[in-house]
Amino acid sequence: MKSNVLAGYLSHEQNSEELPKSVDVLIIGGGLLGTSLAYYLSKEKTEVLLLERDEINREASGTNAGSFHFQIALHQLTPDMTDSERVRLSAEVKLQVEAAKLWDGIEAELDADLGVHFDGGFMVAETQEELQVLGDKERIENEAGLESYILTGAEMHKFAPFLAQDLAGVAFCPREGHANPLLVGPTYAFRALENGAKIRTHCTVESVEVLEKSSPGSVGFRFRVKTSKGEVLCNRVVNAAGAWTMELAKQVGLNLPMGLSGLHVNVTEPSEYFLKSMIQHIGRRLTLKQTPNNTFIIGGGWPAKYEAYPKRYSNLWSSTAGNLAVALRVLPMLKDVKLMRTWSGVWAYTKDFKPILGESRKVPGYHVAMVPTGFTLGPMVAQLLANYMTSRDGSSELPKEFSVDREI
Amino acid sequence: METIDSHDLLVIGGGPAGLSAALESSKHGVKTAIIEERITLGGQIFKRLGVGFKDSSASSLGKDYARGAELISGIEKSNVEVFESTQVVSIEDSLVYTTHPSFGTRAFKFKNLIITPGAYDRPVVFPGWTLPGVMTAGAVQTLVKTQQLSPGKKILFAGSGPLALAFSAQLLELGAPVYKVLESSHPPKSSEILRLTAAIPGNWNLISDAIRYRSILLKKSVPFKYRRIVVKAEGQGRVESVTHCKVDQDWRPIAGTEKVESVDLLCVGYGFFPSHELFRFLGCSFIYDENQGGFKVEKDQWGQTSLPAIFAAGDGTGVTGSYSAIAQGALAGLRVAFLYGNLSELQLRDLATSYIRELSNRNKFQKALNHMFDVRPGIYELASDETIVCRCESVKKSDIDSVIESSADISVVKAYTRAGMGLCQGRNCQRQIAAMISKRYHLPFSEIAFATPRFPIKPVEIGLIADGSIRDEKYFINEK
Ligand SMILES: Cc1cc2nc3c(=O)[nH]c(=O)nc-3n(C[C@H](O)[C@H](O)[C@H](O)COP(=O)(O)OP(=O)(O)OC[C@H]3O[C@@H](n4cnc5c(N)ncnc54)[C@H](O)[C@@H]3O)c2cc1C
Ligand SMILES: Cc1cc2nc3c(=O)[nH]c(=O)nc-3n(C[C@H](O)[C@H](O)[C@H](O)COP(=O)(O)OP(=O)(O)OC[C@H]3O[C@@H](n4cnc5c(N)ncnc54)[C@H](O)[C@@H]3O)c2cc1C
Repeated sequence: MKSNVLAGYLSHEQNSEELPKSVDVLIIGGGLLGTSLAYYLSKEKTEVLLLERDEINREASGTNAGSFHFQIALHQLTPDMTDSERVRLSAEVKLQVEAAKLWDGIEAELDADLGVHFDGGFMVAETQEELQVLGDKERIENEAGLESYILTGAEMHKFAPFLAQDLAGVAFCPREGHANPLLVGPTYAFRALENGAKIRTHCTVESVEVLEKSSPGSVGFRFRVKTSKGEVLCNRVVNAAGAWTMELAKQVGLNLPMGLSGLHVNVTEPSEYFLKSMIQHIGRRLTLKQTPNNTFIIGGGWPAKYEAYPKRYSNLWSSTAGNLAVALRVLPMLKDVKLMRTWSGVWAYTKDFKPILGESRKVPGYHVAMVPTGFTLGPMVAQLLANYMTSRDGSSELPKEFSVDREI
Repeated sequence: METIDSHDLLVIGGGPAGLSAALESSKHGVKTAIIEERITLGGQIFKRLGVGFKDSSASSLGKDYARGAELISGIEKSNVEVFESTQVVSIEDSLVYTTHPSFGTRAFKFKNLIITPGAYDRPVVFPGWTLPGVMTAGAVQTLVKTQQLSPGKKILFAGSGPLALAFSAQLLELGAPVYKVLESSHPPKSSEILRLTAAIPGNWNLISDAIRYRSILLKKSVPFKYRRIVVKAEGQGRVESVTHCKVDQDWRPIAGTEKVESVDLLCVGYGFFPSHELFRFLGCSFIYDENQGGFKVEKDQWGQTSLPAIFAAGDGTGVTGSYSAIAQGALAGLRVAFLYGNLSELQLRDLATSYIRELSNRNKFQKALNHMFDVRPGIYELASDETIVCRCESVKKSDIDSVIESSADISVVKAYTRAGMGLCQGRNCQRQIAAMISKRYHLPFSEIAFATPRFPIKPVEIGLIADGSIRDEKYFINEK
């Protein structure tokens, strides 16, 4: 087992040093997208400065449930699917298969224990109608190269005796798994720092100004970035501000097709370890897993209530009561396990569920990096973007459907 | 889930503060309910005997017990509705969510809320503090009071303040063999005694208690050692020996003054921390006072917090003892009756006078005492690198230190080390971690924010909360 590299992490003094006057690439946001991008860019010797207004990894990337969603996510399925939707989903699954490969190698790449486990994932169906949808999903996945299969009746009980006996069936995807979201982003940041990237925390980006060649003081730079700790000139900006991406992009006239939603998560006390694989529900909001610390993390998209930043979204009792009821419906043995805490996070999604990734044609030099299932796909799309940004010959074009300038 | 909407005032907590609040409000016509998580009323001080124990020695249980019995019987005779074994787990939009082992979740609608959650033993982190046989004073007292059982044969008491004296004397009286008491403060100076004497009027009961406690120790020839603090507990599987040291005025151990003694129980009583979870959760304003247990909710003389309709009373709002708790509770209860128009302004002032006087006397006395028993920073510096700071998750001090090098944020320490993620939800370790941060970055303690408060206020079984009648909107995007 690799050690936790975070002992002896970035020093506070270093994070609070003065800002450089100028830099090639300036990344806004120290979530998983920003930190992994800083790592992949600095690995290619690109000069990088990452600015985070709070601490590294404290927003979505440090509040998510840490699941690898390789199976088609439930909110993407419709009971009666059209062919074009099938094509779209198939493309997505291929992306997920790529992401799985990255996660396979991430602990070796970063030389750290990040709690990565590939112990498979269940997707349960309560009704016959839901079982039907599972069948559709299995077909698309298998065609796209993701193994998954459906179990029902005695077979299901034998394979997963802990599941409620009266479920209609369950899909199992051996590739699914999870990692520790509290460690992945910070470890990327730490390794980026070792590669020479600069990181400044408690530094808020207030505005990004596009400079003309002739602008006074531009000295050839394309952007002037104003922060709570002073100004920086840069050639390229990457907006990786998670739920705040849209707001910042507006400053340079870009309208991103995004939406925000507060999500609720529950965690229980530690309890005897028995659940290796994650559990989801095809028709209801549920993700459930047992962590290496033996606690259960239960979520799946129940709402949390909006609060203005910097206050965190507040949890709703109805979300806890409803979410836990779905969990008990699927895993009745959790009845006597104690709920220990709840928390919330702000989830940023795109209206077509595809990443927004790349450089704007309208504002050359301005890049955006955001993706809805950002824990699963974040490091991989960051790597794609880093390839694009470091390839001089334009050989690594990004998929058109991720375009920053697309309209939905 | 059942929703109960039949009270104008909900009182959370059935200790001295809560009982007295409910008595006053109901006496003046406010429909009042008490919600108490334990199986009986009484709170910390009026702990009643465990099931099956006979009330044969009321005198050894002390005057407290008698006072408590009086308050409780007052409640029994009143219109106050009492919900025992009912734990408050969240508050949201005028509803207090509670759980009960048989009734599951019940939500109480409230118009006014008086919150009196009490305090818990101040955890003190030193090498060996997690060994079996090291117990907090409160835990030992509970065992002795409710089970009439002494957990040790040779008990060393280490602590500070008036409660150190009171606890050790009480334990002795109840038959627990305390053989020595260590007090980390200095012996009272004559100026301090003067100050205290000046505050005596109105506090004679406290003084006479103190004298009685001291004489119990003297009678049993139990030595009371000033300026010594516990620095280490050791043993195979449980405590066998304890090292203590002389301290300077900041309670920092003086090298070369160590003394090792063999004991089978170390009882630790350095004061209390208010249970402020509910106040933090609601978003009340706070102030800081180390001697009253650190962060305490801000309130006016009636117990009104910074939030409308939310009142606070008792040790959960700053540790000042049971006499104050009763007076504070009464004032909050009266105030709510006034707000309902059941009392005129004049009547309110009239009825409040004696409680206000009582509180002001207590405060004077408390200030004088605080001067003598001021909690010093050395209390936070006893741990060594290997000492477990977060006992729920077994996190060592050195691991926490290394994260503090990168951030002054408790939540970051929590995320990287798991310190504060366990069953106690940081009640035992957050202050220690805050002290470490305060030292490293020269920040005042009061500026170090704790982790975001969330429900449940206390851990609770999933089966008691889950509610199948709450549906998620279906999740398919194109659903008609
Ligand atoms: C509760 C919850 C559960 C989830 N579960 C999963 C899951 O199981 N699997 C999965 O794949 N995905 C999951 N997600 C989604 C996933 O967490 C996100 O997609 C991903 O973390 C996004 O990473 P990010 O770096 O874009 O954003 P963030 O992690 O939010 O990072 C953005 C950063 O930018 C900073 N910032 C913002 N504005 C500024 C500014 N002006 N100046 C400087 N810094 C700024 C913020 O402080 C923040 O640190 C979940 C999300 C939530 C909320
Ligand atoms: C362990 C201990 C021992 C003490 N011993 C003595 C002593 O011997 N002599 C002395 O003079 N003073 C003693 N004190 C101090 C004295 O007990 C307090 O000053 C007094 O009890 C304070 O009254 P209170 O009503 O504020 O709090 P408490 O008496 O603590 O009452 C608070 C009540 O609220 C309930 N409660 C808390 N949270 C919830 C929730 N979420 N839902 C439902 N109910 C809840 C608790 O169960 C408790 O019954 C002791 C204090 C402690 C902590």
